[in-house]
Amino acid sequence: MTDAKNTSTIVFDRATKIYPGSDAPALDGLSIEVRAGELVCLVGPSGGGKTTALQLVNRLVDLTSGDIRIGDRSITDIPAIELRRTIGYAIQQSGLFPHMTVIDNIGIVPSVLGWEKTRVRDRAHELLELVGLTPVPEWADRYPSQLSGGQQQRVGIARALAADPPVMLMDEPFGALDPITRTTVQDEFLHVQRTVGKTTLFVTHDIDEAIKMGDRIAILKPGGLLAQFDTPEKLLTEPADDFVAEFLGQERGLKRLSLYTLSDLDDLASADATTGRAPWPALPADTTVRNALSLAAAHGAEGVRVLGEDGSPIAAAPLSRLVHLQSEESV
Amino acid sequence: MDAFPKAFPFMVDNVGLLLEKTGEHLWLSLVALVVSAVIAVPLGLWLGHVHKGEFLAVSITNIGRALPSLALIAILIGLVGIGFLNVLIALILLAFPPMLSYTFVAIDSVDRDLTRAARGMGLTPMQVLFRTEIPLGLPMIVSGIRTATVLVVSSATLATVAGGGGLGDIILNQVAYGMEGVVAAALWVAVLSILADQLIGLLGRLLSPRGVRHLTAQADAVPV
Amino acid sequence: MSGFAPSGDPIIPDYGEVSDCVTNNDFFCTDWFVQQWPSVFWPALLDHILMTVIAIVVGFAIAFTAALVAHRRKWLTAPFSMVTTFLYTLPPLALFQLLVPITGLSLLTVEIALVAFTLVLLFRGVLSGLLAVPDDVKRAARGMGLSSQQVLWRVEMPLAMPSIISGLRIATVLTVSIATIAAFVVDAGLGAPILKAISSPFNTQFIGAGALAVLLAFLLDGILALTGRALTPWTKASR
Repeated sequence: MTDAKNTSTIVFDRATKIYPGSDAPALDGLSIEVRAGELVCLVGPSGGGKTTALQLVNRLVDLTSGDIRIGDRSITDIPAIELRRTIGYAIQQSGLFPHMTVIDNIGIVPSVLGWEKTRVRDRAHELLELVGLTPVPEWADRYPSQLSGGQQQRVGIARALAADPPVMLMDEPFGALDPITRTTVQDEFLHVQRTVGKTTLFVTHDIDEAIKMGDRIAILKPGGLLAQFDTPEKLLTEPADDFVAEFLGQERGLKRLSLYTLSDLDDLASADATTGRAPWPALPADTTVRNALSLAAAHGAEGVRVLGEDGSPIAAAPLSRLVHLQSEESV
Repeated sequence: MDAFPKAFPFMVDNVGLLLEKTGEHLWLSLVALVVSAVIAVPLGLWLGHVHKGEFLAVSITNIGRALPSLALIAILIGLVGIGFLNVLIALILLAFPPMLSYTFVAIDSVDRDLTRAARGMGLTPMQVLFRTEIPLGLPMIVSGIRTATVLVVSSATLATVAGGGGLGDIILNQVAYGMEGVVAAALWVAVLSILADQLIGLLGRLLSPRGVRHLTAQADAVPV
Repeated sequence: MSGFAPSGDPIIPDYGEVSDCVTNNDFFCTDWFVQQWPSVFWPALLDHILMTVIAIVVGFAIAFTAALVAHRRKWLTAPFSMVTTFLYTLPPLALFQLLVPITGLSLLTVEIALVAFTLVLLFRGVLSGLLAVPDDVKRAARGMGLSSQQVLWRVEMPLAMPSIISGLRIATVLTVSIATIAAFVVDAGLGAPILKAISSPFNTQFIGAGALAVLLAFLLDGILALTGRALTPWTKASR
């Protein structure tokens, strides 16, 4: 796969958009830099301009002022249609072409770019495997109407990746899926994105999704202004202003804990160091700290035990460690 | 070509004749439409309400569309002889399919959630029909009547072939009335047809409850 | 009666003996029908097919172009719609007669009138098909970098196909039906044997020609339906 090498930065340079007929900007002077290979989530309430910001990148909407650069080239340097063929684009309803098979859907941009048929087909097969729709022959010739919502989204992602673009734009792609499917598809997409290493701009209104998916998160507030642009950890521990704090909600302390797993806690006591009457639940090491806390509360326990690879408890984490994360010595 | 300018003096000179023929034409059309409606519309309402008989409605529509009016009239000559009755039967048979199928579709396609809500509120089936389904389906029912009207007025021009009278008597008798007469009568029947179509359309819009009027714009005098 | 329908006895070639069926003017005499096939019915059928096909092809060409233009410039939809609906509302016979002074008793007159009838159905079929393409599909297509032409021909047109075929089917069936009236203008098509036999009603002649017209309509409808299904494989797919 050539994917890992082909990736660029996206730079917003005071990007502003004012729609005709309206005085207030939909996006007001956004200046952020997305690093190559990074997944940045754009979040915010409606009216914040996050979808506008996304659509400015592939010029579905044109800038009023400012610039956006992909790599070191401004998006206005080449014609819009050519530009779009170099950007992967996935939307909420997947927008799969109902009259084309899965294979044909995935191969649409490459074939429009003039790739030979065998190359297109091989690429489509490769991508179907990447998004987990295997065995490939079973899926290749199906029509979108024969797929579930989650499967359609996966094909949508494969389609966005097909021409090996340096950057990807995703517009609330998982919004229409039910919660269980959404979790599965999110996990798979994270895996895909890490594998291909493509710079991705991901719009969502769901702050939990942003925290889960994003390397960094840009929060936009009404009026199209940037409230804060930071890693999830930083956002949750140091919100820049009241708006961000409120947007993150009172659960942000807990949300932060979902960024860590039990395996992140070092220097734990041995598994028999339990206290209190209720037995401490034994959980796998990849359980998030937040879930561990939740389960401890559910059992009325004063901590949890961590399971080793062999399935037996190897350490104990009291509530204080779950809350503080670091051990007392390192504070 | 000079038939056209000459047609207007013809109209002036022969107003009485034209009106007489128009009267025959309209009477024939009206009777046919009313008889057909009396059978087709209630049948369509009932079938649509119970959501049965779609295949029947579709088949009848297809056959009705494929049946040439001329052939129908000709065949009826053999069965019924010539005259008013012959053409009347033919026109009733022609008007029946669109009235039935449009009415059926109109009632059948009313949102089931709405009818379910109505039944859930305690309305009897008849009340559901008259208070929910018919008002919502009215634009399409009117559309069916409109289609049938245009078809009947148009086909009534052929009545002359079986001695049924109407403006066809002039249109197909160049020998007696000259080209200018033919053109004059043809213009009259064209106007008649358009007026009938617009009139039904207007009636439909007036009868539709306000919330449903926007649907009238979509349902037209064109078979769907 | 009318000045157009020729009067006189039906032409029953008498090869020495005629079957009882014919003499009694029963409902349908197969033997007579078969006898007359090569000289009466077959040519009439061929003419009829020709008239229909020309009308549909020309009508479709005009309506399709008009629909594409109206798709681009929405404001044209209403005027096109009104004109084509107007043409559709005119009684066919009246339109024929209005054209005769201009284009004579010719095939051209017939075709102009037949084409005029198909227009509204075909225009609506194409346009409503194009309008029914889901917005998210169009947005994805644009966003991926397909040009407007590519979006139109690779995405919108195929998805509009079911509606287009539907319009074509209805228009074809109606044209076959109306083309019988062409016999008032030219001595061609299945309307001719019907007209000729009107004044001395000989059942087999009407019924034969009428039945042929109905069968032709169904045949053409069936062909179009099958073609439609072949062109739209995704509509058959089920989960």
